[in-house]
Amino acid sequence: MQRHSPQTVSLCQQRVLLALLSNAVLALFFSVSNLYLSLSFCHCLSAPIEPHFTECVSRDQETFRCWWSPGTFHNLSSPGALRVFYLKKDSASREWKECPEYIHSNRECFFDVNHTSVWVPYCMQLRSQDNVNFFNEDYCFTVENIVRPDPPVSLNWTLLNISPSGLSYDVMVNWEPPPSADVGAGWMRVEYEIQYRERNATNWEALEMQPRTQQTIYGLHIGKEYEVHIRCRMQAFTKFGEFSDSIFIQVTEIPSRETTLPLTLILVFGIVGILILIMLIVVSQQRRFMMILLPPVPAPKIKGIDPELLKKGKLDELNFILSGGGMGGLPAYAPDFYQDEPWVEFIEVDAEDADTGEKEDNQGSDTQRLLGLPQPASHHMNIGCSNTVSFPDDDSGRASCYDHDVPEQDTVMLMATLLPGQPEDGEASLIVERAPTPERGERPLIQTQTTGPQTWVNTDFYAQVSNVMPSGGVVLSPGQQLRIQESTSATEEETQKKGKESEGSEETEGKKQKEPQFQLLVSTARQISTPPISPMPGAEYQTIQHPQPAETKPAAAAEDNQSPYILPDSPQSQLFAPVSDYTVVQEVDSQHSLLLNPPPHQSPPPCLPPHPLKALPAMPVGYITPDLLGNLSP
Amino acid sequence: MPGNIRSVSAVRVVLLCLVFCRRLTIIGAAPICTNGQAGCHVLSLANLFDRVIQHSARMHGISNDLHSEFEQYFLPSKNQVGRVSRNCHTSTILTPNGKENAQRMAREELTEVILKLLVAWGDPLWHFHQTLEMSDMVHELRKGVEKVAEKMQMLGIIVNSVSSQASPEALLPSDSAEWRLMKDYDLLYCFRRDSNKVQNYLKILKCRIVPEHGC
Repeated sequence: MQRHSPQTVSLCQQRVLLALLSNAVLALFFSVSNLYLSLSFCHCLSAPIEPHFTECVSRDQETFRCWWSPGTFHNLSSPGALRVFYLKKDSASREWKECPEYIHSNRECFFDVNHTSVWVPYCMQLRSQDNVNFFNEDYCFTVENIVRPDPPVSLNWTLLNISPSGLSYDVMVNWEPPPSADVGAGWMRVEYEIQYRERNATNWEALEMQPRTQQTIYGLHIGKEYEVHIRCRMQAFTKFGEFSDSIFIQVTEIPSRETTLPLTLILVFGIVGILILIMLIVVSQQRRFMMILLPPVPAPKIKGIDPELLKKGKLDELNFILSGGGMGGLPAYAPDFYQDEPWVEFIEVDAEDADTGEKEDNQGSDTQRLLGLPQPASHHMNIGCSNTVSFPDDDSGRASCYDHDVPEQDTVMLMATLLPGQPEDGEASLIVERAPTPERGERPLIQTQTTGPQTWVNTDFYAQVSNVMPSGGVVLSPGQQLRIQESTSATEEETQKKGKESEGSEETEGKKQKEPQFQLLVSTARQISTPPISPMPGAEYQTIQHPQPAETKPAAAAEDNQSPYILPDSPQSQLFAPVSDYTVVQEVDSQHSLLLNPPPHQSPPPCLPPHPLKALPAMPVGYITPDLLGNLSP
Repeated sequence: MPGNIRSVSAVRVVLLCLVFCRRLTIIGAAPICTNGQAGCHVLSLANLFDRVIQHSARMHGISNDLHSEFEQYFLPSKNQVGRVSRNCHTSTILTPNGKENAQRMAREELTEVILKLLVAWGDPLWHFHQTLEMSDMVHELRKGVEKVAEKMQMLGIIVNSVSSQASPEALLPSDSAEWRLMKDYDLLYCFRRDSNKVQNYLKILKCRIVPEHGC
């Protein structure tokens, strides 16, 4: 056993003592503070509470009651220890009177009808039995201000409707006014307030106050239970009565799906049946039904051409046919017929042409002016050489290019847009030159006047200008233009030539009414895609009618290689009126020639030599009328 | 006294705003046709009563709001009821203070009481605040009640016409000028009380004479 030294033992003891002391001091301190606090608290609470009125209430504005409490004066809690006195300030007599009726069990003072006056200030007072102590002396009021109506009665509800989704519904709640409130006599005007909440919720939802005895609650949810109660108050006053007993509203799910189920089934079956029927009809290929269900689409039609070709898009065959390859009639020309005649496109517009062109602006198309074609008046066209196509009377001395014989001949200019001319007056609205004699066609240049009347066929397509000559001429790319220059002056008779297509169809046909040997050279845009830059008109050129095709056969045409014109094989030769810029294709005849609408017939001015170009003014309007159409047929 | 003047001016400002705000919600009563006025259709007695009662209810509501707002802003201490020890200037008018009293009263007397009250409040309200339209309301209500009285007399419900009396000011006691001495709060308090009286009397009258609608 270890022996502790007395010093250690004393130290330990001292420590323990110190700890105990500190604890004791702390405890003392706390207890003192607690005592102090409790004492003070007790001091506050020890203040006595006087007897006082808890409330005075009227239910019907005819009587009222007052309740009091003795407070902490428990010695006054016995019945009769406190007395109620009131003062009515409605008359001169201001004396305190005692409560007319005591209900001591309730500590209540009841004022009946005889003692109740509305609109009169009342003051209440509590006095001790010995009238020594007065309590609560300034409790005053008027009866109408202390009215708290009884709660309404007979609260019930009816279901108004259910939303289409079946999730919410509306109810109508109605009730009766409290029986104690004489609403019927108009003595009290009451307004009501409905409150509702879900069964387990804590907050009430209050609806707007209103004086009617019914109200709608919107938007309640199916399946949930709701609690509803109501209270009321006087209008324009502030004190509410108590709440009525609650009623519970609950609407469970209505299995309304059954009624809609048959409808949906019927719809589904009906649609399926119709679909099956349609499928059967389609599958069985019944023509009748197919016609009804799927009417055929009308196919495109062009006279003389098998629609099948059009439908199937066989363009080459179509071109072949249109060009008359397989049907006889129109000759098929080598595409590269005019490969080596660049001069065909070469035109030179004279300076004078501008003036004349403007003068006769209305008489000629733009293309003619551009090409320098002889206009009705003194239109000079310098083609290749200084010669211009001019009228005999307007010959400005460029006769070298002209053959004087030419004027006697029918000279017409074949315009690009040849029209079915009107041969009636023998005037060619279309400028189609007489076919020159082959010897005239020597000149390789456009000066085909020397070679004979050169007829320029102005197809009046949109020509691509491929080059501009230094001398001012314009080289057009082939395929659009073919001009048959008129080498000779216009004759008195103007022959009308029928032009070729206007829209790029491959076939042209000139029907010449008159005279022999003129040739039309018409360029056709056989391939619109790429007109060759090189003046290779051959691909596009095509002969058109020839007035006297007998003489001038393709052989002659071949000889006249240099001549700008090709002799068409078409036996028909008719001069037609010059074709306007835009022409309507009337129809395709048996020879696959297009009948175009002629320009309206116009007689050129008599002073001017009958130049086909004079009829140009009519060209832009060249549509054939039915009566004119009859003259077209050869 | 300076405190009173200050409170008075503040009261006027507040009440001006309050009344104007409420003015917007006032349903203007349609004019009642005078005899021989073209373009008016004659109203039935029940309709006349309804109009007048609606008007008086509106007036009472406004007076109640005015009073409570005044009390809330300027006199937060409760229980001012006891302070009204002095009489309202209409205290001299004998008014039934209970339902039975009002129901037992003759119709002519009741109508007369109503008119007296309305007459008594025209001037004080105007003097209280010129721009307050309460005075106009009181005047209109008075005219309405007079029309009702005429109609009732025409229908033989009451025997002697109330409007046949001398100028309404004669109804008031001679010391009616004491209303000028009242403070604003008391004025509002008294007016509120009297408007409630008027409303109640009218309603009782109506339910006694033409009880078919809304009684």
